[in-house]
Amino acid sequence: MKTTEFTLNLQAYVDGELDSSRRAEVERVLASDAEARQLVEGLRQLSDLVRSHEPVARVPESREFYWSQIQKRIAVAEATGNRESREVSGALQWLRWLAPALGVAAVAVLIALPTREASGVAQAGGSALEDAVSMTFRSDADGVTIHWIN
Amino acid sequence: MSLKSDYPSAADEQLVAWAKDGDTEAFEELIHRHRDKIYARAMIMMRNEVDAVDLSQEAWVKSWQRLHQFQGESSFATWMTRIVINLCLDQIRRQKRTRAESIEEMQEESGGVERHMPVAEANPTEGLESEEVRRRIDEAMGKLTDAHRTVLVLHEFEGLEYKEIAKRVGISIGTVMSRLFYARRRLASLLQSLKRERSE
Repeated sequence: MKTTEFTLNLQAYVDGELDSSRRAEVERVLASDAEARQLVEGLRQLSDLVRSHEPVARVPESREFYWSQIQKRIAVAEATGNRESREVSGALQWLRWLAPALGVAAVAVLIALPTREASGVAQAGGSALEDAVSMTFRSDADGVTIHWIN
Repeated sequence: MSLKSDYPSAADEQLVAWAKDGDTEAFEELIHRHRDKIYARAMIMMRNEVDAVDLSQEAWVKSWQRLHQFQGESSFATWMTRIVINLCLDQIRRQKRTRAESIEEMQEESGGVERHMPVAEANPTEGLESEEVRRRIDEAMGKLTDAHRTVLVLHEFEGLEYKEIAKRVGISIGTVMSRLFYARRRLASLLQSLKRERSE
């Protein structure tokens, strides 16, 4: 009885999947092992048989009907694709306006961060920007810090 | 732009070029030429006429959408076959998620392949007409599990190497090897029993 690894190596040999050194190793074994030679021959014959007799099948619909079905699916796919691309485009329009606003907000947050924080109490005070007021709330119990910028 | 009468005599490459320019008649000619092969590939993978028609049509829709990506590195038929195989693999994965593994697959996972060594017997298709051999192979392949049939089709008909099959199916090379071996052993056994059934 051959081991699993050896058996799969024989198959890999038949399938041309071994490098030259492993191929030479298998060939050395084959020279003296009739059972291995029989297995290799069986695998080779089966592979040749299957490859040369690939099952065939015909579309069970007429040329016109088959094509009309595909045309419909293409039309649906294109309509869906266009709608999706319009939706994406609409979202991008919003982002164009939203991005600068988000940028300003981010800068304001960065400026506000160094403001004094008090544990568990709300603070209101001035920041580096004269007209901006920031408020920080921190709760150690909840592990939460909130910065509010006006 | 071509004349309609040119389509049947035009090479695939020419039809692809016309189709890339939006010529749907050129695309329809490509479908007409290759539809049986693409359908047959879907049929051998899915073993179900409804799925095979659906997936083969889906493959043509995808190819129309991605035609600009086809640069002619392989033949158009090979490119199309790849598309339909990928759709079949996706479908098999979806179906597998909704049903239990077969007993056969569980047995394969739990035991070594040495239990399934091919039996040295006479050629099971000896003396048969080519069409009969083809029919028997098709019938036997229909009795394999999806997992075994898939690696067999990818290896024998698509000519893919182990590592490429592993990548496409999402399994290790070792699993590809054991599934392929088991599939061959089972196929040989099924062909033998079909021969016995016919001779009785």
